[in-house]
Amino acid sequence: MAVDTTKNPIPFEMAQIPGPEMAKAYATKVIGSIIKKSKRPLLVVGAELFDDPVMFDKVIEMGKTGIPIAATAHSVKGFVERNYLENVYQIGLHPLTNYLRFEDWKGLDGQGHYDTVIFLGIHYKFANAMFSALKNFNRNVRRISIDRYFHVNANMTFGNLAFSPDDYHEAIDEVIAILKK
Amino acid sequence: MVKTEGSFAVEDMKNVQINIGAVIKEEDEWDQEMGPYPKPQVATLRDWDFKIVNRYRIFYAPADDTCTLCTFGPCDLTGNKRGACGIDQAGTCGKIVLVAVLMGTCAHTAHGRHLYHWCLDKFGDMPFDMGSDILVKAPLTESIIGIRPKTLKDFGPVLSYCEEEITQLLASCHSGQEGSYIDFESKALHSGMIDSLGKEICDMLQTVAYDMPRGDPEAPLVEIGMGTMDQSKACLIAYGHNLAAGAEAMFYTENNNLWDKVDIGGVCCTAIDLTRIAEGLGNTDIPKMIGTKAKVAGAVGWWRKMVRAGIMDAVMVDEQCVWCDVVRDCEPRKIPVIATNDKIMYGLVDRTNDPVDEIVSDLVEFRVAGVVVLDPIKAGEVAVKTALQVKPKRADIKDKLVLTEEEFKKFLDTCTKCRQCTYVCPPHIRISNLIEEAIKGNLEPFSSTYEVCVGCGRCEQACPQDIPILKLYEYANRDYIANQKFKMRAGRGPVRDTEIRAVGMPIVMGTIPGVIALVGCSNYPNGTKECYDIAKEFADRGYIVVATGCMAMDMSLYTDEDGKTIWEQYPGGFDGRNVCNIGSCVSNAHIHGAAIKVATIFARRNHRANYDDIADYILSKVGACGVAWGAYSQKAASIATGVNRVGCPVVVQPSSVIYRRAFLGRTDVPEDWKVIDARDGSLVQIEPAPEHMLYVAETKEEAMLMMAKLCFRPSDNSIGRMIKLTHYCDISKKYFGKLPDDWPIFVRHASELPIADKEPMMRELEEKHGWKIDWKAKKIVEGPIRPADVSFDPTNLPRKIRAKKK
Repeated sequence: MAVDTTKNPIPFEMAQIPGPEMAKAYATKVIGSIIKKSKRPLLVVGAELFDDPVMFDKVIEMGKTGIPIAATAHSVKGFVERNYLENVYQIGLHPLTNYLRFEDWKGLDGQGHYDTVIFLGIHYKFANAMFSALKNFNRNVRRISIDRYFHVNANMTFGNLAFSPDDYHEAIDEVIAILKK
Repeated sequence: MVKTEGSFAVEDMKNVQINIGAVIKEEDEWDQEMGPYPKPQVATLRDWDFKIVNRYRIFYAPADDTCTLCTFGPCDLTGNKRGACGIDQAGTCGKIVLVAVLMGTCAHTAHGRHLYHWCLDKFGDMPFDMGSDILVKAPLTESIIGIRPKTLKDFGPVLSYCEEEITQLLASCHSGQEGSYIDFESKALHSGMIDSLGKEICDMLQTVAYDMPRGDPEAPLVEIGMGTMDQSKACLIAYGHNLAAGAEAMFYTENNNLWDKVDIGGVCCTAIDLTRIAEGLGNTDIPKMIGTKAKVAGAVGWWRKMVRAGIMDAVMVDEQCVWCDVVRDCEPRKIPVIATNDKIMYGLVDRTNDPVDEIVSDLVEFRVAGVVVLDPIKAGEVAVKTALQVKPKRADIKDKLVLTEEEFKKFLDTCTKCRQCTYVCPPHIRISNLIEEAIKGNLEPFSSTYEVCVGCGRCEQACPQDIPILKLYEYANRDYIANQKFKMRAGRGPVRDTEIRAVGMPIVMGTIPGVIALVGCSNYPNGTKECYDIAKEFADRGYIVVATGCMAMDMSLYTDEDGKTIWEQYPGGFDGRNVCNIGSCVSNAHIHGAAIKVATIFARRNHRANYDDIADYILSKVGACGVAWGAYSQKAASIATGVNRVGCPVVVQPSSVIYRRAFLGRTDVPEDWKVIDARDGSLVQIEPAPEHMLYVAETKEEAMLMMAKLCFRPSDNSIGRMIKLTHYCDISKKYFGKLPDDWPIFVRHASELPIADKEPMMRELEEKHGWKIDWKAKKIVEGPIRPADVSFDPTNLPRKIRAKKK
């Protein structure tokens, strides 16, 4: 039975209540399917992966399905250590989000803009703010969180799974399974 | 030209008085003509601001999607919609940014206004004497106003200028005024500049009046840490940023020979400034080196921890960064509070005009939790007497402040692991996990997260079981608190002209790889240790490391394997491989000042009323980068914005996103990276240096890499570029495990490649990036954005063109 990722849909920082448009928590199969259907997805990962290193392996599995990875902060080190740099791009989350808000940006590979960004392993408040920047200034990019937090400024997110690491790992595995189909 | 004000009566002419607003006399000692922009108004330097924001795109991350500033609201601005007044989301963000920056600017300027009146009242007018090693004495005042103050009183008109600009800027925030986000940001940059000037006024006034060090690289080492407060004495804490009342407590203690009975410590920047008193020229009546008798109890992040640890008997608060619940925190612990500044009065009764002993009696008998005493001299006496007399009365409660083992365990057992505490914790500490481990007898998680905890206490409010979580921390860390005893170099004040003469050329050429300024508050994403780590990383690499305020204090709390603090490991000069404590947060002005001095002393640029010219020089040629790794208050916003206007980039910690705005470059737009060659007016395509102006980093590793990168300047000569590139690549390899992807864009000549990796890097340039290499001559034939040119004179100001291109 699939993990219920729609539970506990309150902002991980309780006072993060931005306004009338707030995220909804979705099941893994919905989020996985939306990612899979995206034409130009970009997986954006941060340094919190170091707190739970198995997540690097799971992200690499996702990368191997063809989704390019933006390694923010110093997370690229985890990929170097695992000898996986195939489609990994080292960039700070701040400049990345700045590029994402411009329609004329050609992407990390020069092949064009992205239609979907998927965040995980990123400092909560920073990720929340970057979702807000896109929510307000480039609504053509779909904002998905598969982090362990309920992200109120995303379009689609998991509920809070921050205190249930096993459930969270299982949820990510379910997304990976969908991507591999 | 200088003005002196006055009025006089003419003898034998009844009822006739001639008032003269100002007598203008020739200023003959300054060899610089008045520059183009004395006392710039809101729009005067707008062109310069637009140069900044056209290259460094204004980036907003709204903290909320609505506007509730007027009765039309709340207006939904999601997706950059417009509200009823016509302002869009970007404009609203710009307005909030400006308001935040103005709050910081007002705090510093009002601090300066208070000190101006107080210093003139107490000491009378004094010559503005910065000692024989400092001739460019007030670089910001000189660059912005165009005057050179000769006495403390000369700062009066400078303050009036600041106050007028602040009023004009705040007026633009009213509904139906400014609506353009770009102009809001120009105004914020103007406010940031005024903030830097307000800080300079503050620190110059107190440096002269209280005889603080004038750029002394060997300023004394003073004691820092909660454990330094001698619990056998009455312990008085002075908390805030304005030294006036705390200094009077020290003078009272000195004059009455009470140092064997009283210990005085400071919290936040008041602490730094108390420990600087009378360590300067020795030209005042203040007892020499009295500052070394005060202690730095800690930075603002430690405040609530020290209240709970029971290290103080009385507290006097002044202004800025003083938590609003001081009385609420102190009253149950029987710590009397003396509020000494009208900016913070907490609803307490104003007792300024009451006899000292009556006030002391009311405090010591706990008839009142606190009082307001706005006369610093009286406040100092009240505070010392209160601390002395209340100490024996607090003996009982002092023993009860820290939990017993039994109480500690009882509270642990009441935790239901509901996690409400973590949902409100700024650094997201998993507090229930700490409790779970403590129940098993493992207190290490409570210890290792003690420095990460910012001491806000939001967890205690959220806890449905009313567990006093900060008290749990105090119990688990009671041994650490008692032994938190370190040394900090007292704030040395300005950078000396002689130091600038020695390092000006190496900075501009790049052979000193950069100036790293660690400034700001105590809201670190991952604890205080990161301050030490960042400072040490860059000092070891030969950068000039300067620090102020809370970062200077917090980096003092760690030692190397020999037990030496960072101040004992490195000399305190403004030079490579040095770490200098410039002073409190108002001393940040001296960091601006140092950059201005490079332009005017080393490069001989006229700085008088010539702000944009100097900022252009700094942006193009002075490899410096600020980091506010604990940025918390609106002053952090105004400080960073002021640093940006003078042409220097800043890196901040991830929670800084709450201030909404950044200035970020786009390396994929070549047009953004064109500058003028002042030699002939030609436009030159440059590498993105510096790439960003205000940047949020997620981790200290990312911050350090970005700081190294943001020290690149177009003016670097080849040796300098090689040194900077070596550090940039080395930091990346050390913390990221690989070379940075963008290193080739900074290479203009083969000699600029790091020596150790030169050949493989040349091969990568050829194979991966398509550059043409002459392997025989080991030269780059084709590929760089531009060739190295040692005489290249980059500028962004057309008026700096020396000869038009033919």
